[in-house]
Amino acid sequence: MAADWEEIRRLAADFQRAQFADTVQRLSERNCIEIVAKLIEDKQLDVVHTLDGKEYITPAQISREIRDELYIRGGRVNIVDLQQVINVDLVHVESRANDIAKSDRNTQLVLGQLIDETYLDRLAEEVNDRLQEVGQVHVAELCKTHDLPGDFLTEVLSQRLGRIIQGQMDEYNRGVIFTQTFLARHRARICGLFSAVTRPTQLNHLINLYGFQEHLLYSVLEELVNSSRLRGSVVGGRQDKAVFIPDIYSKTQSSWVDSFLEQNRYLEFDALNRLGIPDPVGYIKKRFRGRKLLFLQASCVDQTIIQQVEASVEEAVTSGTWIDVQPLLPSCLSSEDVAILVNEVMRAANVQSSARLLCGTMVVSEKFISSCLKFFEQSMQQKAQKEIKNNPVFLISEDDLKQNPTLADTAPPGKKDRKEERRKKAAEGSGSTKTGGGGNAREIRIRKTKKKGRRDEDSDEEAATAPQGRNKQAEVPFMSHEQVEAVLQEQVCDCPEEMISELAEHILRPLTRLYQEVVRAAFLSTSGAGPGAGRKQNVKELQEEISNLYNNIRLFEKGAKLFPDETQASIAKHVLKTVCTDMTNVLLTFAAAEFMSAVESPGSVTNEVRIRILAKLPEDTKAPMMKLHNSLNGRSIEDFLTYLEPSVEVCGFMLKKGDKKRERQALFQHRQALTEQLKQTEEPALVLHLTSVLLFQLSSQCALHAPGRCVPQIINALTGRIPEGQQRLLSQYQALVVKQLVSHSRKLPQGEMEGDSGAPHGDDMDAVRKELLSLTNEVKDLALSPRKTSVTED
Amino acid sequence: MADEATRKAVSEIPLLKTNSGPRDKELWVQRLKEEYLALIKYVENNKKADNDWFRLESNKEGTRWFGKCWYIHDLLKYEFDLEFDIPVTYPATAPEVAIPELDGKTAKMYRGGKICLTDHFKPLWARNVPKFGLAHLMALGLGPWLAVEVPDLIAKGLVQHKEQQSS
Repeated sequence: MAADWEEIRRLAADFQRAQFADTVQRLSERNCIEIVAKLIEDKQLDVVHTLDGKEYITPAQISREIRDELYIRGGRVNIVDLQQVINVDLVHVESRANDIAKSDRNTQLVLGQLIDETYLDRLAEEVNDRLQEVGQVHVAELCKTHDLPGDFLTEVLSQRLGRIIQGQMDEYNRGVIFTQTFLARHRARICGLFSAVTRPTQLNHLINLYGFQEHLLYSVLEELVNSSRLRGSVVGGRQDKAVFIPDIYSKTQSSWVDSFLEQNRYLEFDALNRLGIPDPVGYIKKRFRGRKLLFLQASCVDQTIIQQVEASVEEAVTSGTWIDVQPLLPSCLSSEDVAILVNEVMRAANVQSSARLLCGTMVVSEKFISSCLKFFEQSMQQKAQKEIKNNPVFLISEDDLKQNPTLADTAPPGKKDRKEERRKKAAEGSGSTKTGGGGNAREIRIRKTKKKGRRDEDSDEEAATAPQGRNKQAEVPFMSHEQVEAVLQEQVCDCPEEMISELAEHILRPLTRLYQEVVRAAFLSTSGAGPGAGRKQNVKELQEEISNLYNNIRLFEKGAKLFPDETQASIAKHVLKTVCTDMTNVLLTFAAAEFMSAVESPGSVTNEVRIRILAKLPEDTKAPMMKLHNSLNGRSIEDFLTYLEPSVEVCGFMLKKGDKKRERQALFQHRQALTEQLKQTEEPALVLHLTSVLLFQLSSQCALHAPGRCVPQIINALTGRIPEGQQRLLSQYQALVVKQLVSHSRKLPQGEMEGDSGAPHGDDMDAVRKELLSLTNEVKDLALSPRKTSVTED
Repeated sequence: MADEATRKAVSEIPLLKTNSGPRDKELWVQRLKEEYLALIKYVENNKKADNDWFRLESNKEGTRWFGKCWYIHDLLKYEFDLEFDIPVTYPATAPEVAIPELDGKTAKMYRGGKICLTDHFKPLWARNVPKFGLAHLMALGLGPWLAVEVPDLIAKGLVQHKEQQSS
């Protein structure tokens, strides 16, 4: 029981103890918050409450937590993440973070992230690992993977270069880090690649193909080239267009160019372009500075070719032939270039005046052309003659007379025209250079068509000018173009057709002109007067002829006077009809020629023709001529002679009265002519006639010009003047001749009517003929031998 | 019924088993032990919850109890003496707690300063005899009464803070 009370006492004590034990001083949340707020307000407490409001935290604690977090996270933490972890307002985190970054040198704030040195060291190690693995690292790439700004990374990494990162940064491009081995590998690759390159290659292309570092490539390449490890050159700087040209390429290029020039003696710019030489002219000029090359439009030509061409051109010129330059020249030259070259050569050879260029390539010497003209001389003469015969009196009108002086002047302008034409052609040629280039075949085709076109043009021109000329000058066309070509083809066998056609074209005009002259000359020669220098001579000859005729007429007149009136009249008539007509004709044709009309040879001029000529003559010449002409139909030689004098004067000649000596000479000539004629003839009638005339002259010392009709009268007149025997022989011969003539005249109608009825007559005839034959020689002797006797008698 | 906090506090008080009053010598000791253990527990609980609001002690026999109780209002602590006797019929009848200084100041008080417990308390106690003890009396009887009456009395000016009174 006591124990129980004891226990109660103890419990009571426990109770008291429990009651007086310290009570835990607990504040309610509300109060607590209020208290803290009050404190913060009073600046007695510096704490920050967490976002959920359940805790307060001091800034120092925030800093510590930030540091811890930074450490836990490996040295890099985002402030936003921190804010979530620490669970206080971002402002406080930021300010604390800034404080940390400021106060701690190993920590920095980058892009809202706290980063410390250990992180950066580790990053650098990572970079280094990668660098060692790959060889080069781009900062940009790192930026992406590590989500850090490039500048910062570059700075950080460059600080650790050589310490943690075993590598170097490109001087030119700070965004790249590479190792020495990478560099060496790169260099080896570049070296190998560019050693293998044999032709100009765009660096850009190689970069894309092999993934070179552009800047590295340039610097390494430069270094290699400078140290002449690589033989070549980089053209175009450090740009996209940069091209590496290996020496071997340029060497082969230049050796190709050299050998090509050496072998072919020319260089085509196109070929050089194909070889990859952008400026062929400059290149050639630089390369062959010492050599003399002729630069054409699309190529340049060595001096040897030019000399060769020059030599052959000169040879052609001196030998008076032609030469086609084309085979001597490289086939690739365009027509323009050929033209330039040939012009050059011709200028150099100084043969421009003595040679002409045809078809662009053919150099034809003027000699050759003139020789070609000679081919036509004969046919020209023939044609001229034919022309005259076709229109026997081809008289040139009054207008033509006026045109005459200009006709001679047309030659030089014509030449000038041609020159101009040529120049024009050359200009055309140079104007169409753009068509140059391209395949040879095409060129040739072009050239052909061009030529054709040009020819057409030319012929058009000619056709245009020809009618004009015809209108003015009444040109007589000589030959058509085709005809000329045909003739040339015949004569000049080894010429190409083109050249012939062009040559024909060239000589067509001169030919026509020449033909005009020939025709005129022909007309003039028929009228007895020649143009130009020949004329004077002609005049002299005419003078001679006229005086001869005049003397003869006078002699004949004298001889005629020995006969009785009747015979005299007939003789006079005969003389008028023959010698006097000749005289008149000579004068008339001369007059006609003088006034540029053309007449046929004086011998064939008939009465009508004379009248027509007279109609054309100017008045002052016409009057005496008319009288003279009329006197021909008269009966008296004296009348003729009186009219002759003024006529001759009008024509500008002189009538020389023959002196004795001259008379004798004329007589002798006349006799000589007669004897000559006599010797040759066998015709009995003519023999008789000539013999009688001769005998008369011998006996009377007077020339006689009598018709055959007067033979009996002459023989009569001879009686008494010649010996008996001769007289008898003559009479006998005369009788026989008469007989024969009579039988002849009879036989003709009889022979027509009945075939063999003339047989007895035929026997008769034979007898007569035999007699005549036997007598002929005797009679001839009469005239021929007595001459000697008469001469001796004289 | 009382508020949630009170209910919780009461549930943490160990229930008593012995049904005996002061007259039963043997059993009363047993009962008294249980009372003490319950009170200790209750006080400890209060202290833990920063809700210590009374001091209590008894005479040797454990029949007469006296002590203090206090109430904090507007950051001022109002303290009152209290006393009560264990009735003879205890535990069937609940003891009548008296706060002599408040005698005559409030209607809810019997003569002699005995607080007038609500109608709820008596049936509750009756239903829980003998499980309820002194600790329950404090928690369910005096605590709620103080919480209701003291602020009212202060507002009426019937109770004034001693320090302010003195000053």
